[in-house]
Amino acid sequence: MILVVNILMLIVVLAPVVIVMWMSFTPTATFVLPLTDFSLRWYREALSYPGFVDAFWLSFELAILAAVLTVTLSFLAAYGLVRYRPAGGGALKAFFTAPLLVSAVVFGIAMLQFVNRIGLYNQLSGLVLAHIVLVVPFAMRSLEVTLRAVPEELEWAAMILGRNRMGMLLRVTLPLCARGLVTAFLFCFLLSFSEVTTTIFMTGPGLQTLPVRIYNYMSDRIDPTVAAVSALVVLVSLALVAVLNLLGGLRRLTTQ
Amino acid sequence: MLDRRAGVPWLFVAPLVLVMVVGFVWPLLQVLVNSLHPNTPQGIDAAHWTLGNYARLADPFYGEVLVRTLRISVIVTAITGVLAYPVALFVSRLPPRAQSLFLLAYISPWLINTVVKALGWTLLLRTNGVVNTLLRGLDVIASPLKLLISETGVIIALVPGHFMFVLLPLWVALSGLDPALSWAAGTLGARPSAVFWRVLLPMTLPPFVAGLVINFIMNMTAFAIPMLLGGARNMVASMLAYQVNLVSLDWPLGGALAVALVAFTLTVVWAGQRGAVLLVSGRGARA
Repeated sequence: MILVVNILMLIVVLAPVVIVMWMSFTPTATFVLPLTDFSLRWYREALSYPGFVDAFWLSFELAILAAVLTVTLSFLAAYGLVRYRPAGGGALKAFFTAPLLVSAVVFGIAMLQFVNRIGLYNQLSGLVLAHIVLVVPFAMRSLEVTLRAVPEELEWAAMILGRNRMGMLLRVTLPLCARGLVTAFLFCFLLSFSEVTTTIFMTGPGLQTLPVRIYNYMSDRIDPTVAAVSALVVLVSLALVAVLNLLGGLRRLTTQ
Repeated sequence: MLDRRAGVPWLFVAPLVLVMVVGFVWPLLQVLVNSLHPNTPQGIDAAHWTLGNYARLADPFYGEVLVRTLRISVIVTAITGVLAYPVALFVSRLPPRAQSLFLLAYISPWLINTVVKALGWTLLLRTNGVVNTLLRGLDVIASPLKLLISETGVIIALVPGHFMFVLLPLWVALSGLDPALSWAAGTLGARPSAVFWRVLLPMTLPPFVAGLVINFIMNMTAFAIPMLLGGARNMVASMLAYQVNLVSLDWPLGGALAVALVAFTLTVVWAGQRGAVLLVSGRGARA
């Protein structure tokens, strides 16, 4: 009984992703069941549609910028919190996880009105700022765990041996945290690359990320081209998830 | 060894705090301020202050949208709660390697963007989609079910979409329990159902409720799935927010809506935590 529930739930969770992949190989212009022939025709179509290609590069650039900046800022902040345990550190931690409590819709409304007010509407920088805020809670959590696992004694040793703080950070702490930093970076990249709700609220027609472009395309019509693009998105995401899993990053989501 | 002068830790923390203040606190305050100004055809009238935007939210049309959003969210959270418990129990009793595999299968769809999943559900639930074709092929139904552009479709797609948020905390709690507990209760004569109601559930209640609260919030503010699977006829709060802010461009009203959503969310979080504490302490007092 418990096994049946589990199998059913797995099917329901995986079904929408599997069906998109499957349907993207249809040779016909509509989805006809059952699918027996396979063709890459719609992948060619999707890759020659400039709307999707441009949106992919925008999403890519945005996710890289957001992930690099978030990991840098969060690493510094996590270092300050973990090593110095300053008074008020608990409140700061709560502050950095607060974006999780504000829904993406509300944050999208706030960002729309804010970027218009300060003149960043339709600018990449506005999107980068929003995506940083959205992924900070995840980066902070992951990097705090990473830093706590690096023995402080190693840093002391480096400083006793004559390194100054900067040298110690760069030559001892950073290399020891490499795996955690890569994990946090991939995780931030993935979340930013998939983000749709806040981005839809913030952007006009001039600056559409790939998820937003797919969304707008789908509101208009559903054809195998959009299935092919979506299948490519799934492939990119799953590849990153696989790397994350190898690095042990998904486990960090579940450690308390 | 560390330089513990008061200012030093702040050098590390300050850049992120600055970004969060500019990118998070300021926009939210901006929305709050905008919601307190009247809207005019020329834009926001910053010279005057009003609570009128909040009064406009009392309109019966908005009430209907809110009730529909609540109905969908409660149903999805209830289904999730009932399904997540057996799944978490099953996974937590597997060998470690199998546990990671199952969790990966449940987590990875969450990391794929919602729009792609909405496309998948559209292909599955359409009149001539996979589900209807399958059911008709098996002679379960005579004519196709209308699953798309309906609340049913939205519910079907939201349950797996936010399933992970209940499953993960529950799995963590269950795998932290000593297996000897269930065994001990069994040797003392408790039937499996009694072990569940009297031992497992009370001990895992706080993380279970915490997961359900997050799940509920995510359902209340889901955007792409209700928009693409429910359609404008089944409008929910997030679609209304989109329409007010980006179609009618009435930002003071849109701001009031955002503030109301935050207030509602925080009330649910507070009530959920409070409820869990009361339930646990109530049981403790009786035991």
